[in-house]
Amino acid sequence: MSDSYVIVGDGIAGASAAETLRQEAPDADITVVTDEGETLYNRILIKEYAKGKLPEAPISIHDESWYDDHDVDLRLDTLVVDIDVENDAIRTHDGETLAYDTLLLAIGGTPQQLPVENADADGVHHFWTFQDARRIKESVEDADRGVVVGAGLLGIDFAAICGAQDVEAKYLMRGDCWWRYALSEEGAEVMHEAMRERGVDPVFGSGVDHFEVDDDGHVEAAVDPNGDRYECDFAGVAIGLDFNVEIVEETPIETDEGVVVDEYMRTNVDNVFAAGDVTQFHDVILGERAQNGAWGSAKEQGTIAARNMIEHGSERFEWVSSYSITHFDFPFLSFGHPTLGDDSVEATTAEGEWRRVALKDGRVVGGVLIGDLTPQSAFKRLMREQRDVGDQRERLMKPGFAVDDLAPATEQQRRN
Amino acid sequence: MSLREQGRRTRLRRTGRIPPDAEVRHFDELGDGTQAVVAELAGRPLTAPEPRDLDDGDVVKFTEYYEVRTR
Ligand SMILES: Cc1cc2nc3c(=O)[nH]c(=O)nc-3n(C[C@H](O)[C@H](O)[C@H](O)COP(=O)(O)OP(=O)(O)OC[C@H]3O[C@@H](n4cnc5c(N)ncnc54)[C@H](O)[C@@H]3O)c2cc1C
Repeated sequence: MSDSYVIVGDGIAGASAAETLRQEAPDADITVVTDEGETLYNRILIKEYAKGKLPEAPISIHDESWYDDHDVDLRLDTLVVDIDVENDAIRTHDGETLAYDTLLLAIGGTPQQLPVENADADGVHHFWTFQDARRIKESVEDADRGVVVGAGLLGIDFAAICGAQDVEAKYLMRGDCWWRYALSEEGAEVMHEAMRERGVDPVFGSGVDHFEVDDDGHVEAAVDPNGDRYECDFAGVAIGLDFNVEIVEETPIETDEGVVVDEYMRTNVDNVFAAGDVTQFHDVILGERAQNGAWGSAKEQGTIAARNMIEHGSERFEWVSSYSITHFDFPFLSFGHPTLGDDSVEATTAEGEWRRVALKDGRVVGGVLIGDLTPQSAFKRLMREQRDVGDQRERLMKPGFAVDDLAPATEQQRRN
Repeated sequence: MSLREQGRRTRLRRTGRIPPDAEVRHFDELGDGTQAVVAELAGRPLTAPEPRDLDDGDVVKFTEYYEVRTR
């Protein structure tokens, strides 16, 4: 009998696993179950659709014929509600039971709502799916004034959408700069200036205490904890994700913030794997548990998980993640884990160019590049080599930095 | 991966309207080497050896939309 693989989730992690399984296990039975009503699409381009810059069609990656052509049994609009690891089966919302030999959980996360009054009012949006993007586009096109909440990588997408759709917006941040866990005020100011140029005004020391609504229940203002009132007919909230682990909670599968896996993407239950945003994986570069939230990482985890589902131990996940912002006329890229570390070095390397590198025990663990992305591959290499650069940290700020700018590594510095 | 002709060079041409049948790639979908090429060519009248994961006619979303021209 052929092996049967069931994949929950048809995002990039689940879909790349299905593709790899089909390539490397041609006779296997493969089922993909998703609660969304559409097949794999490019989640990192839906913001461009909401901005009004891209039509729908190029955002689709797999149409339904892809699943037929690859002999993959696709279940759309199907929510998995339960996993029975003793009997190797999952149960769906309509009571169907699907048995598996090996299961992959590629179930991602769901945006958090603000815990404030009227957080679910009409006109208050969260952003994860293509359906969200369609609603956001429709709503923002009719709006005059917007409010954005959440000073991170997804919040800035809402700011860019307001800018592109000519909606005057206030970007309400709790701290004194955007993405304060990864940037200093100096680096963040480059981003603030770019927002202002697009009609989005950052407001610091703010946030949302509650939303006010009109008689129809549509948002009409956000009031911050200082009592300042910002009128709006559109609000975008991106304050973080809850990972979709409810279906795992009643099982022996270990969870923490997400589903805990080793470097082979396997959970503590031998025939259950996980991939993508939902995993808390053993990061062999960092030497500790980590979590990534990026397209490239999710895709790679799907591929690696599939290989290990076929033959456990065949390949480790060893990857330096990165995530860019392409809304402005200069590029921005974060790599690795820029919010971690016990030390950091930063500099303005030229006009409009800024960088910050985070270090832990003298080793690069992540960073942010604004304007000039040239050193990206050098920094990623230093991370992979786990090279001790603590005593040469200033050299990391050299314009056009390359690994050769460092003194040759001694055996001790090269831990790999 | 498609078989590549040797010696072809790529440049990027800024483009505005994206037709529904375009193959659009976000910068973050590209490998590190291709990202370096895109960052170098975008907005500059330069060419580079054809990168591995972009085909002639593809559109890349970087700081603008760029059409890949490979000859
Ligand atoms: C607006 C936006 C912009 C982004 N921009 C970038 C960017 O520029 N660069 C970058 O690198 N990353 C970006 N990201 C992040 C990136 O999209 C994610 O890291 C990546 O898509 C995660 O893929 P995944 O397959 O792990 O999870 P997801 O794509 O979230 O897929 C999980 C799927 O599982 C389904 N599911 C969950 N639970 C169940 C269940 N019980 N039953 C059935 N189905 C279930 C979900 O509905 C979903 O379809 C962005 C994300 C968003 C939302």
